[in-house]
Amino acid sequence: MHYIEVKDLTFYYDDEPVLEGVNYHVDAGEFVILTGENGAAKSTLVRSTLGLLKPAKGQVTIAQKNTEGKRLSVGYIPQQIASFNVGFPSTVLELVRSGRYPKNRWFKRLTQRDHDHVQKALEAVGMWEMRHKRIGELSGGQKQRISLARIFATDPDLFILDEPTTGMDEESRNNFYRLLRHSAHQHGKAILMITHDHEDIKNYADRQIRLVRKEDSQWRCFHMNS
Amino acid sequence: MEMLSYEFMRRAFLAAIFIAGIAPMLGVFLVIRRQSLMADTLSHVSLAGVALGFFLNLNPTITTMLVVILAAIVLEYLRMMYRSYSEISIAILMSGGLALALVLMNLSGGNSSTSIQSYLFGSIVTITSDQVVFLGILFVITTVLFLLFKKLMYVLTFDEDTAHVDGLPVHWMSMMFNVLTGVAIAVMIPIAGALLISAIMVLPAAISMRLGKSFNMVILISVIIGLVGMVTGLTSSYYLSTPPGATITLVFITFFLVVNLIRRLIIMIQRKK
Repeated sequence: MHYIEVKDLTFYYDDEPVLEGVNYHVDAGEFVILTGENGAAKSTLVRSTLGLLKPAKGQVTIAQKNTEGKRLSVGYIPQQIASFNVGFPSTVLELVRSGRYPKNRWFKRLTQRDHDHVQKALEAVGMWEMRHKRIGELSGGQKQRISLARIFATDPDLFILDEPTTGMDEESRNNFYRLLRHSAHQHGKAILMITHDHEDIKNYADRQIRLVRKEDSQWRCFHMNS
Repeated sequence: MEMLSYEFMRRAFLAAIFIAGIAPMLGVFLVIRRQSLMADTLSHVSLAGVALGFFLNLNPTITTMLVVILAAIVLEYLRMMYRSYSEISIAILMSGGLALALVLMNLSGGNSSTSIQSYLFGSIVTITSDQVVFLGILFVITTVLFLLFKKLMYVLTFDEDTAHVDGLPVHWMSMMFNVLTGVAIAVMIPIAGALLISAIMVLPAAISMRLGKSFNMVILISVIIGLVGMVTGLTSSYYLSTPPGATITLVFITFFLVVNLIRRLIIMIQRKK
């Protein structure tokens, strides 16, 4: 089942095409990586897919329902999330708890199950002890970890991750990839992850989508390597 | 408390308490969303609304509200257009609002200038019972909306992209927040004055952000500081015979300086240990 289906997507920055005729899909239960050289508009593609940017042409479909027929939920970690709103007055716990709100909790109290999810997510990234810290006081790596904790707390059907392992050591990276693979294969999650880490990840990802430069274009424009 | 024996002072204190609830609640979101100058902008724009009221011979409160709501919508539209330079929208609306106010004042003849003066500097002690009731209603509406939408506003304020992916209608929410801020400003202007509105909305929030750790705590501290500052400022202005709005603002600035000084001292002492 396609959770993401993109057909013939074209994106312009001003009058210059940066993506042209891009087609791809991501299915439930698979771990897909999106690669390409620096400046290959990988983040632009992901942001266009999510509706954060408006493509000039093409069709983007994100499934409304998951494989169980329930409303599909999406979790997104943008690039350089570690540089988020540093003055934002919130504790780690508050931020990670907010990951449960999209689970139909905007107007309801969080249940014990929600709190358990939050605790597990924070423990998984080793940040439970720091739950009462203000997020502005955290280091870049710690902010990265609580962003991951928030997305794990959300427990979405579709994960869209833009270079989430920047700054992680090799062991943490591999653990993280293992966890993503497990989520896809054992729990039916769909994962689309932008990465530069071609070597380590080969053992974990199911498929690679690569953006390559269009040779017949006068612009620095990218499309899919088919 | 001799001053409370006067009806006008009792009304003024009640108004001050309502403003202390409304302004910081909105102000915290304005400050975190880096829209601190929005209150200032809408205050300037509101002058055009007042001038329009005099020009068209209509109730200035109604024209102010309409103009401010329109400005709040335009502000959100401009903010989206100039995403990386959101201060452009502020500069355009602030200058546009003042220019329109001056032209309309001129067209209405000199009669409106005295009333506009009162809108500029506020006159909390001349507040009418109707205005107090109006403020009370606004206080209840703001509090109910805050309690209902607190979680949504938390995510929206943290990061708009995250809010979008979480399924929130980001543009509508931003627009509605701007409109509510606009309405609040239009109602508070005759009381606090256009020039001082911004300070009353932004300073308690700025102070509480230095003190509170969690989001909820920052909002709570902000309202408490708003309350203490408004009551202290109003009492001081009564005994010193100084303009209430200006006195209240100076009280908030004093709080701001004292809090930052004490914080700095604490940090220095901790470092020495």
